[in-house]
Amino acid sequence: MINQPETRDLLAEARRVLLDSIAPDLGGERKYQALMIANAMAMAMRELEQREQGQPEETDHTVRAYLAEHSIDGTAAEAEADLARAVFERRLDGTDPALRSVLRTLTEARLRINNPGFLER
Amino acid sequence: MSALADTFSRFIARQTGARSARVIDFDKLSGGAIQDNFGLTLELEGGSRPGRQEFVVRQDAPSAVAESLSRPQEFRVLQAAFRAGVTAPEPLWLCEDPEVSERVFYVMTRAAGSASPRKLVKADFSKEQRRNIVRRLGAELARLHTVKPPQESLAFLALPDPGNPALSRIALYRRYLKEIGEPHPVLEWALNWLEDHVPEAGPTVLCHCDFRTGNYMMDGDQLTAVLDWEFAAWSDPCEDLGWLCSRSWRFGADDREVGGVGDRQDLLEGYREVSGVELDPAKVSYWEVMALVRWAMIALQQARRHMSGEQRSLELALTGRMVAQMELDLLNQIQELEDGK
Repeated sequence: MINQPETRDLLAEARRVLLDSIAPDLGGERKYQALMIANAMAMAMRELEQREQGQPEETDHTVRAYLAEHSIDGTAAEAEADLARAVFERRLDGTDPALRSVLRTLTEARLRINNPGFLER
Repeated sequence: MSALADTFSRFIARQTGARSARVIDFDKLSGGAIQDNFGLTLELEGGSRPGRQEFVVRQDAPSAVAESLSRPQEFRVLQAAFRAGVTAPEPLWLCEDPEVSERVFYVMTRAAGSASPRKLVKADFSKEQRRNIVRRLGAELARLHTVKPPQESLAFLALPDPGNPALSRIALYRRYLKEIGEPHPVLEWALNWLEDHVPEAGPTVLCHCDFRTGNYMMDGDQLTAVLDWEFAAWSDPCEDLGWLCSRSWRFGADDREVGGVGDRQDLLEGYREVSGVELDPAKVSYWEVMALVRWAMIALQQARRHMSGEQRSLELALTGRMVAQMELDLLNQIQELEDGK
């Protein structure tokens, strides 16, 4: 089904109106609320973009491959859940740079959605 | 609002023995999802505190958090801290009488200044001023940590179980993570690291447990009051220093390790000057890692409160999305500690 303009465009425009036309007239608590809304909208936009680019699947694949290398069978729908369990059960060496690299990949993938600026500190 | 002001002013008049109490100013103060704070300025005639008086009244908010202390408990912690010489609002009167108010409240003195983290972190202080502020923070903690168990008035505070506060915290956070039921491999990994590096337990002392920039009032470069005592607990002294130094509470000034204000060495010196105790910086670093895990746990719980419908809130929802920040900080910090940076 064609449904234009697309979701990201709708969100981007709504956010622009909020920040350019509405927020400047607000003060105190209401300004804070407006900025929180803008932040949530930006997150949703980035998440949509990441999904369109197949990023979640790519991250999942990286985790899956690492687990396979360490003979850990995946049972959960998300590789992250299998990884969390294996770490908790101490089936993986916490000092292994490859494990830390996978943990970093997962964390950075989330930050690219939630707060890309945090990655640039 | 005015009915509340009348309730509080009548109560204060009775406590002080004033002939009359005129409300000069009454407003709700910002901050505090767990409790409501009101600023109340009165003109008291006669009694033990005659003249113009500024108070803060702290009352339970409708949505209380199970983990935090009740108002009466908090009042007793504040009394203990105040008696130990901590610069805190003076706790004056606790009211648990349902005839006076449906919700329990207490009254304390009002400190001057602001607790705004942004204001403090952005302030144009000299090196000397920063050093003094941070030393003062160390001195305040040293005074608080003179309070040791057992204390009859603080019998409601549980002692760490097992005897080592770090192990006690790790067990608690493992339980939280299990209850939350969301996979967080970085937090599991960090908890393993904490478990494998548990330092020898220090003395068990009264800890504030939320001692950070944003929870103390500053008037210019002077600290006027340590606030928000609802998470106080018996713990290791380094828990308070680690929390204060945590990367999460530097408000953008990442190179100033102590709350975005100054240097760790000055904090430790301020602490030693008052207590005579030389704290191990490595132990503070360990508790900084613990602080990141703890803040991640709190953020996860806040998100759950939103998601479960218990308290729908955009702020709580967005806090849940902050967890990846703590996770990245954990990955970096543990690596740096191992590299000996």
